[in-house]
Amino acid sequence: MTAAGPGAGGEVRVEVDRIRCVGTGLCAATAPDALELGADGRARALRAIAADSEELTEAAEMCPVEAISVRSAATGEQVAPRW
Amino acid sequence: MTTAHHPGPDTPPLIPLHCLRHVEPGPPRQAALPTGTAVWLVTRHADVRQVLADPRLNRASLYAADAPRLMVTPNILDDPASLLNSDGPEHQRIRRTVQRAFTPRAIERWRPWVSSVVDELVADLVAAGPPVDAVAALTRQLPVAVISRLMALEGLDHERLAHWSDHALSATAYSAEEIAGAMREFGAFGHQLVVERRKNPGDDLVSSLVQAADQTGGVTEEQLTSLVCGLVVAGHETTMTTLGNALVYLLDEDRAAWRRIGADPEAASAATEQLLREIPLGDREVLPGLLRRAVEDVEIGGVLIPAGAVVAADAVSANHDPLVYPEGTPDLFAPLGTPSLTFGAGPHHCLGAWLARMELELGLHKLARRLPGLRLALPVEEIEWRQGLLTRSPQRLEVSW
Ligand code: HEM
Ligand code: SF4
Repeated sequence: MTAAGPGAGGEVRVEVDRIRCVGTGLCAATAPDALELGADGRARALRAIAADSEELTEAAEMCPVEAISVRSAATGEQVAPRW
Repeated sequence: MTTAHHPGPDTPPLIPLHCLRHVEPGPPRQAALPTGTAVWLVTRHADVRQVLADPRLNRASLYAADAPRLMVTPNILDDPASLLNSDGPEHQRIRRTVQRAFTPRAIERWRPWVSSVVDELVADLVAAGPPVDAVAALTRQLPVAVISRLMALEGLDHERLAHWSDHALSATAYSAEEIAGAMREFGAFGHQLVVERRKNPGDDLVSSLVQAADQTGGVTEEQLTSLVCGLVVAGHETTMTTLGNALVYLLDEDRAAWRRIGADPEAASAATEQLLREIPLGDREVLPGLLRRAVEDVEIGGVLIPAGAVVAADAVSANHDPLVYPEGTPDLFAPLGTPSLTFGAGPHHCLGAWLARMELELGLHKLARRLPGLRLALPVEEIEWRQGLLTRSPQRLEVSW
Protein backbone atom coordinates (compact mmCIF):
# COMPACT_ATOMS: atom_id res chain seq x y z
CA MET A 1 0.00 0.00 0.00
CA THR A 2 1.35 3.43 -0.90
CA ALA A 3 1.55 6.42 1.42
CA ALA A 4 -1.74 7.64 -0.02
CA GLY A 5 -3.37 4.24 0.61
CA PRO A 6 -6.59 3.69 2.54
CA GLY A 7 -6.58 5.07 6.03
CA ALA A 8 -3.17 6.63 5.61
CA GLY A 9 -4.52 10.05 6.47
CA GLY A 10 -3.25 11.67 3.25
CA GLU A 11 -5.28 14.28 1.44
CA VAL A 12 -7.46 13.06 -1.37
CA ARG A 13 -9.62 14.54 -4.10
CA VAL A 14 -13.11 13.00 -4.13
CA GLU A 15 -15.18 13.13 -7.29
CA VAL A 16 -18.62 11.79 -8.12
CA ASP A 17 -19.65 11.21 -11.72
CA ARG A 18 -23.13 12.63 -11.42
CA ILE A 19 -24.32 11.17 -14.72
CA ARG A 20 -23.42 7.63 -13.70
CA CYS A 21 -24.67 8.00 -10.13
CA VAL A 22 -27.99 6.19 -9.61
CA GLY A 23 -28.62 7.68 -6.18
CA THR A 24 -28.41 4.59 -3.97
CA GLY A 25 -27.10 6.62 -1.04
CA LEU A 26 -24.78 3.74 -0.12
CA CYS A 27 -21.74 6.04 -0.23
CA ALA A 28 -23.26 8.73 1.98
CA ALA A 29 -24.23 6.10 4.53
CA THR A 30 -20.73 4.65 4.47
CA ALA A 31 -18.71 7.88 4.54
CA PRO A 32 -21.06 10.58 5.86
CA ASP A 33 -18.13 12.90 6.59
CA ALA A 34 -17.14 13.03 2.94
CA LEU A 35 -20.20 12.34 0.80
CA GLU A 36 -23.85 13.26 0.83
CA LEU A 37 -26.90 12.49 -1.26
CA GLY A 38 -28.17 15.74 -2.76
CA ALA A 39 -31.82 16.72 -3.02
CA ASP A 40 -31.62 15.80 -6.71
CA GLY A 41 -30.96 12.17 -5.77
CA ARG A 42 -27.30 12.28 -6.78
CA ALA A 43 -24.30 12.02 -4.51
CA ARG A 44 -21.72 14.75 -4.13
CA ALA A 45 -18.50 15.26 -2.25
CA LEU A 46 -18.91 17.55 0.76
CA ARG A 47 -15.47 18.99 0.05
CA ALA A 48 -13.29 18.59 -3.05
CA ILE A 49 -10.28 17.76 -0.87
CA ALA A 50 -10.75 15.46 2.11
CA ALA A 51 -8.66 13.46 4.51
CA ASP A 52 -8.35 9.89 3.29
CA SER A 53 -10.15 7.33 5.39
CA GLU A 54 -11.18 3.68 5.44
CA GLU A 55 -14.78 4.80 5.05
CA LEU A 56 -14.04 6.74 1.90
CA THR A 57 -12.26 3.78 0.34
CA GLU A 58 -15.14 1.54 1.27
CA ALA A 59 -17.68 3.98 -0.16
CA ALA A 60 -15.83 4.13 -3.47
CA GLU A 61 -15.51 0.35 -3.63
CA MET A 62 -19.13 -0.25 -2.68
CA CYS A 63 -20.69 2.10 -5.26
CA PRO A 64 -22.72 -0.11 -7.60
CA VAL A 65 -21.85 1.93 -10.67
CA GLU A 66 -18.28 3.00 -9.77
CA ALA A 67 -19.25 6.65 -9.89
CA ILE A 68 -16.83 7.67 -7.16
CA SER A 69 -13.13 8.24 -7.58
CA VAL A 70 -10.72 8.98 -4.78
CA ARG A 71 -7.32 10.28 -5.91
CA SER A 72 -4.28 11.43 -4.05
CA ALA A 73 -4.43 15.24 -3.93
CA ALA A 74 -0.66 15.39 -4.30
CA THR A 75 -0.03 12.95 -7.16
CA GLY A 76 -3.43 12.41 -8.78
CA GLU A 77 -2.95 8.65 -8.40
CA GLN A 78 -6.21 6.75 -7.94
CA VAL A 79 -6.51 5.50 -4.38
CA ALA A 80 -9.98 3.96 -4.62
CA PRO A 81 -11.69 2.04 -6.00
CA ARG A 82 -8.72 -0.21 -6.52
CA TRP A 83 -8.47 -3.94 -6.58
CA MET B 1 -46.24 -24.76 -14.79
CA THR B 2 -47.54 -21.41 -15.84
CA THR B 3 -50.58 -21.15 -18.02
CA ALA B 4 -49.00 -21.01 -21.44
CA HIS B 5 -50.89 -19.01 -24.00
CA HIS B 6 -51.84 -21.14 -26.97
CA PRO B 7 -53.06 -18.91 -29.72
CA GLY B 8 -56.24 -20.34 -31.19
CA PRO B 9 -58.99 -19.15 -33.52
CA ASP B 10 -60.83 -17.25 -30.74
CA THR B 11 -57.90 -15.75 -28.83
CA PRO B 12 -55.97 -12.99 -30.57
CA PRO B 13 -52.22 -13.62 -30.38
CA LEU B 14 -50.30 -11.69 -27.74
CA ILE B 15 -47.91 -9.20 -29.22
CA PRO B 16 -44.21 -9.22 -28.33
CA LEU B 17 -43.24 -6.99 -25.41
CA HIS B 18 -41.31 -4.51 -27.53
CA CYS B 19 -44.47 -3.85 -29.59
CA LEU B 20 -46.54 -2.81 -26.55
CA ARG B 21 -47.48 0.83 -26.43
CA HIS B 22 -46.09 2.72 -23.48
CA VAL B 23 -47.79 5.57 -21.67
CA GLU B 24 -46.72 8.95 -23.07
CA PRO B 25 -44.47 10.58 -20.48
CA GLY B 26 -46.20 13.50 -18.79
CA PRO B 27 -47.16 14.83 -15.37
CA PRO B 28 -48.16 12.37 -12.63
CA ARG B 29 -51.70 11.10 -13.24
CA GLN B 30 -54.16 8.91 -11.40
CA ALA B 31 -54.48 5.25 -12.26
CA ALA B 32 -55.40 2.00 -10.53
CA LEU B 33 -53.76 -1.33 -9.73
CA PRO B 34 -55.54 -4.59 -10.66
CA THR B 35 -56.82 -4.66 -7.04
CA GLY B 36 -58.60 -1.36 -7.65
CA THR B 37 -56.18 0.51 -5.39
CA ALA B 38 -55.66 4.08 -6.62
CA VAL B 39 -52.08 4.96 -7.57
CA TRP B 40 -50.24 7.99 -8.88
CA LEU B 41 -48.66 6.94 -12.14
CA VAL B 42 -45.31 8.68 -12.67
CA THR B 43 -43.87 8.51 -16.18
CA ARG B 44 -41.21 11.15 -16.93
CA HIS B 45 -37.58 10.12 -16.60
CA ALA B 46 -36.71 12.79 -14.04
CA ASP B 47 -39.88 12.10 -12.02
CA VAL B 48 -39.39 8.32 -11.97
CA ARG B 49 -35.83 8.83 -10.82
CA GLN B 50 -37.01 11.15 -8.08
CA VAL B 51 -39.69 8.74 -6.87
CA LEU B 52 -37.12 5.96 -6.61
CA ALA B 53 -34.41 8.04 -4.92
CA ASP B 54 -36.44 10.32 -2.60
CA PRO B 55 -36.55 9.02 1.00
CA ARG B 56 -40.02 10.56 1.44
CA LEU B 57 -41.26 7.64 -0.64
CA ASN B 58 -40.40 4.11 0.43
CA ARG B 59 -41.20 0.42 0.21
CA ALA B 60 -41.76 -0.61 3.85
CA SER B 61 -44.82 1.62 4.23
CA LEU B 62 -46.47 -0.29 1.35
CA TYR B 63 -46.90 -3.08 3.91
CA ALA B 64 -47.92 -1.02 6.94
CA ALA B 65 -51.16 -2.00 8.68
CA ASP B 66 -53.06 0.86 7.00
CA ALA B 67 -51.73 0.16 3.50
CA PRO B 68 -54.17 -0.56 0.66
CA ARG B 69 -54.18 -3.87 -1.18
CA LEU B 70 -51.44 -4.08 -3.83
CA MET B 71 -51.75 -7.57 -5.25
CA VAL B 72 -54.74 -9.82 -5.87
CA THR B 73 -52.56 -12.70 -4.68
CA PRO B 74 -49.44 -11.71 -2.69
CA ASN B 75 -46.14 -13.15 -3.90
CA ILE B 76 -42.45 -12.94 -3.04
CA LEU B 77 -42.35 -9.18 -3.66
CA ASP B 78 -44.72 -8.77 -0.73
CA ASP B 79 -42.41 -10.39 1.83
CA PRO B 80 -41.84 -7.73 4.53
CA ALA B 81 -38.48 -9.27 5.52
CA SER B 82 -37.00 -8.83 2.05
CA LEU B 83 -34.22 -6.46 1.03
CA LEU B 84 -36.64 -4.76 -1.35
CA ASN B 85 -39.16 -4.06 1.40
CA SER B 86 -36.68 -2.67 3.92
CA ASP B 87 -35.67 0.98 3.98
CA GLY B 88 -33.11 3.29 5.53
CA PRO B 89 -30.41 1.94 7.86
CA GLU B 90 -32.05 -1.48 8.04
CA HIS B 91 -31.95 -1.80 4.26
CA GLN B 92 -28.30 -0.69 4.22
CA ARG B 93 -27.44 -3.31 6.82
CA ILE B 94 -28.84 -6.11 4.68
CA ARG B 95 -27.54 -4.74 1.39
CA ARG B 96 -24.00 -4.37 2.69
CA THR B 97 -23.78 -8.12 3.28
CA VAL B 98 -23.91 -8.66 -0.50
CA GLN B 99 -23.09 -5.36 -2.21
CA ARG B 100 -19.37 -6.01 -2.61
CA ALA B 101 -19.95 -9.24 -4.52
CA PHE B 102 -21.92 -7.32 -7.16
CA THR B 103 -19.79 -4.27 -7.96
CA PRO B 104 -18.75 -3.95 -11.62
CA ARG B 105 -15.25 -5.20 -10.86
CA ALA B 106 -16.35 -8.10 -8.71
CA ILE B 107 -18.68 -9.22 -11.51
CA GLU B 108 -16.01 -8.72 -14.18
CA ARG B 109 -13.95 -11.45 -12.53
CA TRP B 110 -16.67 -13.93 -13.48
CA ARG B 111 -16.44 -13.08 -17.19
CA PRO B 112 -14.13 -15.93 -18.27
CA TRP B 113 -16.29 -18.45 -16.49
CA VAL B 114 -19.63 -17.07 -17.75
CA SER B 115 -18.09 -16.96 -21.20
CA SER B 116 -17.21 -20.65 -21.05
CA VAL B 117 -20.73 -21.56 -19.89
CA VAL B 118 -22.19 -19.67 -22.87
CA ASP B 119 -19.77 -21.45 -25.23
CA GLU B 120 -20.90 -24.83 -23.96
CA LEU B 121 -24.61 -24.00 -24.15
CA VAL B 122 -24.27 -22.60 -27.68
CA ALA B 123 -22.28 -25.67 -28.81
CA ASP B 124 -24.99 -27.98 -27.39
CA LEU B 125 -27.71 -25.90 -29.04
CA VAL B 126 -26.00 -26.15 -32.41
CA ALA B 127 -25.50 -29.89 -31.99
CA ALA B 128 -29.17 -30.43 -31.08
CA GLY B 129 -30.78 -28.62 -34.00
CA PRO B 130 -32.19 -27.17 -36.08
CA PRO B 131 -34.91 -26.55 -35.00
CA VAL B 132 -34.20 -25.95 -31.31
CA ASP B 133 -36.13 -24.40 -28.44
CA ALA B 134 -33.83 -21.49 -27.52
CA VAL B 135 -35.51 -21.08 -24.12
CA ALA B 136 -34.74 -24.61 -22.97
CA ALA B 137 -31.30 -24.57 -24.61
CA LEU B 138 -30.05 -21.13 -23.62
CA THR B 139 -32.21 -18.36 -22.19
CA ARG B 140 -33.31 -20.39 -19.15
CA GLN B 141 -30.13 -22.46 -18.80
CA LEU B 142 -27.64 -19.61 -18.73
CA PRO B 143 -29.04 -17.52 -15.84
CA VAL B 144 -29.81 -20.66 -13.83
CA ALA B 145 -26.27 -21.99 -14.34
CA VAL B 146 -24.76 -18.65 -13.34
CA ILE B 147 -26.74 -18.05 -10.16
CA SER B 148 -26.36 -21.73 -9.17
CA ARG B 149 -22.61 -21.44 -9.44
CA LEU B 150 -22.46 -18.13 -7.55
CA MET B 151 -24.55 -19.51 -4.72
CA ALA B 152 -23.17 -23.09 -4.96
CA LEU B 153 -26.56 -24.65 -5.67
CA GLU B 154 -25.27 -27.06 -8.30
CA GLY B 155 -27.34 -29.98 -7.03
CA LEU B 156 -30.62 -28.06 -7.17
CA ASP B 157 -33.31 -29.65 -9.33
CA HIS B 158 -34.17 -27.21 -12.12
CA GLU B 159 -37.82 -28.16 -12.12
CA ARG B 160 -38.15 -27.38 -8.46
CA LEU B 161 -36.45 -24.07 -9.04
CA ALA B 162 -38.80 -23.21 -11.93
CA HIS B 163 -41.78 -24.19 -9.76
CA TRP B 164 -40.70 -21.89 -6.93
CA SER B 165 -39.81 -19.01 -9.15
CA ASP B 166 -43.06 -19.16 -11.18
CA HIS B 167 -45.00 -19.04 -7.91
CA ALA B 168 -42.73 -16.35 -6.48
CA LEU B 169 -43.58 -13.96 -9.31
CA SER B 170 -47.14 -15.12 -9.98
CA ALA B 171 -49.77 -12.48 -10.66
CA THR B 172 -52.78 -14.58 -11.68
CA ALA B 173 -51.28 -17.97 -12.60
CA TYR B 174 -51.81 -19.51 -9.17
CA SER B 175 -54.16 -19.24 -6.20
CA ALA B 176 -53.10 -17.50 -2.99
CA GLU B 177 -52.89 -20.92 -1.29
CA GLU B 178 -50.70 -22.38 -4.02
CA ILE B 179 -48.34 -19.42 -3.81
CA ALA B 180 -48.20 -19.49 -0.01
CA GLY B 181 -47.49 -23.24 -0.07
CA ALA B 182 -44.69 -22.93 -2.61
CA MET B 183 -43.19 -19.96 -0.73
CA ARG B 184 -43.20 -21.91 2.55
CA GLU B 185 -41.28 -24.71 0.88
CA PHE B 186 -38.90 -22.27 -0.82
CA GLY B 187 -38.36 -20.45 2.50
CA ALA B 188 -37.51 -23.71 4.24
CA PHE B 189 -35.00 -24.44 1.48
CA GLY B 190 -33.48 -20.97 1.86
CA HIS B 191 -33.25 -21.24 5.62
CA GLN B 192 -31.61 -24.63 5.43
CA LEU B 193 -28.98 -23.15 3.12
CA VAL B 194 -28.28 -20.36 5.61
CA VAL B 195 -27.87 -22.84 8.45
CA GLU B 196 -25.72 -25.23 6.41
CA ARG B 197 -23.36 -22.57 5.06
CA ARG B 198 -22.96 -21.06 8.49
CA LYS B 199 -21.78 -24.45 9.74
CA ASN B 200 -19.67 -25.33 6.69
CA PRO B 201 -18.76 -22.12 4.89
CA GLY B 202 -17.41 -22.30 1.35
CA ASP B 203 -16.35 -19.53 -1.02
CA ASP B 204 -19.87 -19.03 -2.38
CA LEU B 205 -22.18 -16.03 -2.07
CA VAL B 206 -24.45 -17.58 0.58
CA SER B 207 -21.52 -18.36 2.86
CA SER B 208 -20.09 -14.86 2.45
CA LEU B 209 -23.38 -13.09 3.13
CA VAL B 210 -24.05 -15.20 6.22
CA GLN B 211 -20.54 -14.42 7.49
CA ALA B 212 -20.91 -10.71 6.76
CA ALA B 213 -24.27 -10.62 8.54
CA ASP B 214 -23.03 -12.57 11.54
CA GLN B 215 -19.99 -10.31 11.85
CA THR B 216 -21.81 -7.00 11.73
CA GLY B 217 -24.99 -8.16 13.45
CA GLY B 218 -28.41 -6.61 13.21
CA VAL B 219 -29.67 -8.76 10.34
CA THR B 220 -32.34 -11.24 11.40
CA GLU B 221 -32.45 -14.88 10.37
CA GLU B 222 -35.66 -14.16 8.52
CA GLN B 223 -34.05 -11.34 6.56
CA LEU B 224 -31.12 -13.59 5.64
CA THR B 225 -33.42 -16.34 4.46
CA SER B 226 -35.46 -13.89 2.47
CA LEU B 227 -32.31 -12.47 0.88
CA VAL B 228 -31.12 -15.92 -0.16
CA CYS B 229 -34.50 -16.79 -1.72
CA GLY B 230 -34.68 -13.36 -3.35
CA LEU B 231 -31.26 -13.83 -4.92
CA VAL B 232 -32.20 -17.23 -6.32
CA VAL B 233 -35.32 -15.84 -8.02
CA ALA B 234 -34.10 -12.35 -8.98
CA GLY B 235 -30.82 -13.89 -10.07
CA HIS B 236 -32.32 -15.79 -12.96
CA GLU B 237 -35.95 -14.97 -13.76
CA THR B 238 -35.59 -11.40 -15.05
CA THR B 239 -32.41 -12.22 -16.97
CA MET B 240 -34.13 -15.18 -18.63
CA THR B 241 -37.09 -12.94 -19.49
CA THR B 242 -34.91 -10.23 -21.00
CA LEU B 243 -32.77 -12.67 -22.99
CA GLY B 244 -35.85 -14.41 -24.45
CA ASN B 245 -37.56 -11.14 -25.35
CA ALA B 246 -34.34 -9.75 -26.82
CA LEU B 247 -34.13 -12.77 -29.13
CA VAL B 248 -37.73 -12.18 -30.26
CA TYR B 249 -36.87 -8.55 -30.98
CA LEU B 250 -33.64 -9.23 -32.85
CA LEU B 251 -34.74 -12.26 -34.85
CA ASP B 252 -38.03 -10.68 -35.83
CA GLU B 253 -37.20 -7.01 -36.28
CA ASP B 254 -33.55 -6.44 -36.78
CA ARG B 255 -31.55 -9.16 -38.54
CA ALA B 256 -28.80 -6.73 -39.53
CA ALA B 257 -28.29 -5.87 -35.87
CA TRP B 258 -28.12 -9.59 -35.09
CA ARG B 259 -25.17 -10.06 -37.42
CA ARG B 260 -23.38 -7.02 -36.05
CA ILE B 261 -23.87 -8.23 -32.46
CA GLY B 262 -22.19 -11.48 -33.49
CA ALA B 263 -19.33 -9.76 -35.27
CA ASP B 264 -18.37 -7.29 -32.55
CA PRO B 265 -18.39 -7.76 -28.76
CA GLU B 266 -18.49 -3.98 -28.20
CA ALA B 267 -21.56 -3.76 -30.40
CA ALA B 268 -23.14 -6.52 -28.30
CA SER B 269 -22.47 -4.51 -25.18
CA ALA B 270 -24.04 -1.31 -26.58
CA ALA B 271 -27.03 -3.26 -27.92
CA THR B 272 -27.57 -4.88 -24.52
CA GLU B 273 -28.06 -1.45 -22.91
CA GLN B 274 -30.44 -0.35 -25.66
CA LEU B 275 -32.43 -3.61 -25.57
CA LEU B 276 -32.73 -3.34 -21.77
CA ARG B 277 -34.11 0.17 -22.25
CA GLU B 278 -36.39 -0.70 -25.13
CA ILE B 279 -38.10 -3.96 -24.10
CA PRO B 280 -40.44 -4.04 -21.08
CA LEU B 281 -40.23 -6.98 -18.66
CA GLY B 282 -43.96 -7.48 -18.52
CA ASP B 283 -47.43 -6.15 -19.25
CA ARG B 284 -48.45 -2.85 -17.68
CA GLU B 285 -51.94 -4.15 -16.92
CA VAL B 286 -50.31 -6.56 -14.46
CA LEU B 287 -48.03 -4.01 -12.80
CA PRO B 288 -47.96 -0.39 -14.01
CA GLY B 289 -44.62 0.43 -12.39
CA LEU B 290 -42.23 0.06 -9.46
CA LEU B 291 -44.34 0.72 -6.36
CA ARG B 292 -43.59 3.12 -3.52
CA ARG B 293 -45.71 4.89 -0.87
CA ALA B 294 -45.36 8.49 0.25
CA VAL B 295 -44.55 8.73 3.96
CA GLU B 296 -45.10 12.50 3.87
CA ASP B 297 -46.47 15.00 1.37
CA VAL B 298 -44.11 15.25 -1.57
CA GLU B 299 -44.15 17.19 -4.81
CA ILE B 300 -43.33 15.18 -7.92
CA GLY B 301 -43.23 16.82 -11.33
CA GLY B 302 -45.29 19.76 -10.07
CA VAL B 303 -48.02 17.59 -8.51
CA LEU B 304 -48.55 17.24 -4.77
CA ILE B 305 -48.60 13.57 -3.77
CA PRO B 306 -50.19 13.35 -0.33
CA ALA B 307 -48.75 11.27 2.51
CA GLY B 308 -50.07 7.72 2.36
CA ALA B 309 -50.60 7.70 -1.43
CA VAL B 310 -49.24 4.80 -3.49
CA VAL B 311 -47.05 5.72 -6.44
CA ALA B 312 -46.21 3.55 -9.48
CA ALA B 313 -42.92 4.62 -11.08
CA ASP B 314 -43.25 3.57 -14.72
CA ALA B 315 -39.70 2.88 -15.88
CA VAL B 316 -40.94 1.66 -19.28
CA SER B 317 -42.48 5.00 -20.06
CA ALA B 318 -39.52 6.89 -18.58
CA ASN B 319 -37.18 4.86 -20.77
CA HIS B 320 -38.95 6.41 -23.77
CA ASP B 321 -39.02 9.97 -22.47
CA PRO B 322 -38.31 12.16 -25.53
CA LEU B 323 -36.54 14.69 -23.29
CA VAL B 324 -33.87 12.07 -22.64
CA TYR B 325 -33.78 9.58 -25.53
CA PRO B 326 -34.30 9.93 -29.29
CA GLU B 327 -37.81 8.97 -30.45
CA GLY B 328 -38.68 6.11 -32.75
CA THR B 329 -36.93 2.82 -33.45
CA PRO B 330 -33.75 2.82 -31.37
CA ASP B 331 -30.28 2.69 -32.87
CA LEU B 332 -29.09 -0.35 -30.94
CA PHE B 333 -25.46 0.64 -31.30
CA ALA B 334 -25.70 4.22 -30.08
CA PRO B 335 -24.41 4.89 -26.57
CA LEU B 336 -27.25 5.37 -24.10
CA GLY B 337 -25.97 8.57 -22.50
CA THR B 338 -28.30 8.83 -19.50
CA PRO B 339 -28.65 5.43 -17.77
CA SER B 340 -32.03 3.80 -18.38
CA LEU B 341 -34.34 3.09 -15.46
CA THR B 342 -34.71 -0.61 -16.25
CA PHE B 343 -32.67 -1.47 -13.16
CA GLY B 344 -34.42 1.18 -11.07
CA ALA B 345 -32.60 3.92 -9.14
CA GLY B 346 -32.08 4.96 -5.55
CA PRO B 347 -31.42 2.62 -2.63
CA HIS B 348 -33.11 -0.36 -4.29
CA HIS B 349 -31.25 -0.02 -7.61
CA CYS B 350 -30.86 -3.58 -8.89
CA LEU B 351 -28.12 -5.44 -7.06
CA GLY B 352 -27.54 -7.78 -10.00
CA ALA B 353 -27.43 -5.22 -12.81
CA TRP B 354 -23.82 -5.93 -13.84
CA LEU B 355 -24.28 -9.65 -13.68
CA ALA B 356 -27.41 -9.44 -15.83
CA ARG B 357 -25.66 -7.18 -18.36
CA MET B 358 -22.75 -9.58 -18.66
CA GLU B 359 -24.98 -12.61 -19.22
CA LEU B 360 -27.06 -10.81 -21.83
CA GLU B 361 -24.07 -9.41 -23.67
CA LEU B 362 -22.18 -12.71 -23.80
CA GLY B 363 -25.28 -14.77 -24.55
CA LEU B 364 -26.32 -12.60 -27.49
CA HIS B 365 -22.81 -12.11 -28.87
CA LYS B 366 -21.81 -15.75 -28.83
CA LEU B 367 -25.07 -17.07 -30.21
CA ALA B 368 -25.03 -14.51 -33.03
CA ARG B 369 -21.38 -15.19 -33.80
CA ARG B 370 -21.94 -18.94 -34.08
CA LEU B 371 -25.31 -18.62 -35.89
CA PRO B 372 -25.45 -15.34 -37.86
CA GLY B 373 -28.32 -16.79 -39.91
CA LEU B 374 -30.46 -17.66 -36.86
CA ARG B 375 -34.21 -17.07 -37.38
CA LEU B 376 -37.52 -17.78 -35.69
CA ALA B 377 -38.85 -21.12 -36.87
CA LEU B 378 -42.46 -20.00 -36.33
CA PRO B 379 -44.15 -16.67 -36.97
CA VAL B 380 -44.17 -14.27 -34.02
CA GLU B 381 -47.96 -14.65 -33.72
CA GLU B 382 -47.49 -18.32 -32.79
CA ILE B 383 -45.12 -17.74 -29.88
CA GLU B 384 -46.29 -19.46 -26.69
CA TRP B 385 -45.91 -16.98 -23.83
CA ARG B 386 -45.39 -17.57 -20.10
CA GLN B 387 -48.46 -15.89 -18.69
CA GLY B 388 -50.04 -14.89 -15.41
CA LEU B 389 -46.68 -13.77 -14.02
CA LEU B 390 -45.29 -10.31 -13.32
CA THR B 391 -42.92 -10.80 -16.24
CA ARG B 392 -43.76 -12.12 -19.70
CA SER B 393 -41.40 -13.99 -22.02
CA PRO B 394 -41.57 -16.91 -24.44
CA GLN B 395 -42.38 -20.28 -22.88
CA ARG B 396 -40.69 -21.87 -25.90
CA LEU B 397 -38.91 -20.19 -28.77
CA GLU B 398 -38.35 -22.43 -31.79
CA VAL B 399 -35.37 -21.21 -33.77
CA SER B 400 -33.76 -22.50 -36.93
CA TRP B 401 -30.77 -21.72 -39.16
C1 HEM C 1 -32.30 -8.10 -16.79
C2 HEM C 1 -32.29 -8.48 -15.57
C3 HEM C 1 -32.77 -7.70 -14.39
C4 HEM C 1 -33.64 -6.64 -14.32
C5 HEM C 1 -34.36 -5.95 -15.47
C6 HEM C 1 -33.76 -6.27 -12.92
C7 HEM C 1 -34.52 -5.21 -12.46
C8 HEM C 1 -34.57 -4.79 -11.14
C9 HEM C 1 -35.28 -3.61 -10.67
C10 HEM C 1 -36.10 -2.67 -11.53
C11 HEM C 1 -35.10 -3.53 -9.33
C12 HEM C 1 -35.65 -2.43 -8.39
C13 HEM C 1 -37.04 -2.70 -7.95
C14 HEM C 1 -37.65 -1.52 -7.25
O1 HEM C 1 -36.98 -0.51 -7.02
O2 HEM C 1 -38.85 -1.56 -6.93
C15 HEM C 1 -34.28 -4.66 -8.94
C16 HEM C 1 -33.91 -4.93 -7.64
C17 HEM C 1 -33.17 -6.04 -7.28
N1 HEM C 1 -32.56 -6.94 -8.15
FE1 HEM C 1 -32.66 -6.96 -10.16
N2 HEM C 1 -32.98 -7.10 -12.17
C18 HEM C 1 -32.34 -7.99 -13.02
C19 HEM C 1 -31.44 -8.97 -12.67
C20 HEM C 1 -31.04 -9.25 -11.38
C21 HEM C 1 -30.05 -10.23 -11.01
C22 HEM C 1 -29.24 -11.08 -11.98
C23 HEM C 1 -29.99 -10.23 -9.64
C24 HEM C 1 -29.16 -11.03 -8.66
C25 HEM C 1 -28.15 -11.72 -8.82
C26 HEM C 1 -30.91 -9.22 -9.16
C27 HEM C 1 -31.14 -8.93 -7.83
C28 HEM C 1 -31.90 -7.88 -7.38
C29 HEM C 1 -32.10 -7.58 -5.97
C30 HEM C 1 -31.55 -8.36 -4.80
C31 HEM C 1 -32.89 -6.41 -5.92
C32 HEM C 1 -33.38 -5.67 -4.65
C33 HEM C 1 -32.38 -4.62 -4.32
C34 HEM C 1 -32.76 -3.78 -3.09
O3 HEM C 1 -33.93 -3.74 -2.71
O4 HEM C 1 -31.84 -3.18 -2.51
N3 HEM C 1 -31.52 -8.65 -10.25
N4 HEM C 1 -33.96 -5.40 -10.06
S1 SF4 D 1 -22.94 4.82 -4.06
FE1 SF4 D 1 -22.56 5.47 -6.17
S2 SF4 D 1 -24.56 5.39 -7.15
FE2 SF4 D 1 -24.92 5.32 -4.96
S3 SF4 D 1 -25.28 7.47 -4.40
FE3 SF4 D 1 -23.10 7.06 -4.08
S4 SF4 D 1 -22.15 7.64 -6.02
FE4 SF4 D 1 -24.31 7.48 -6.43
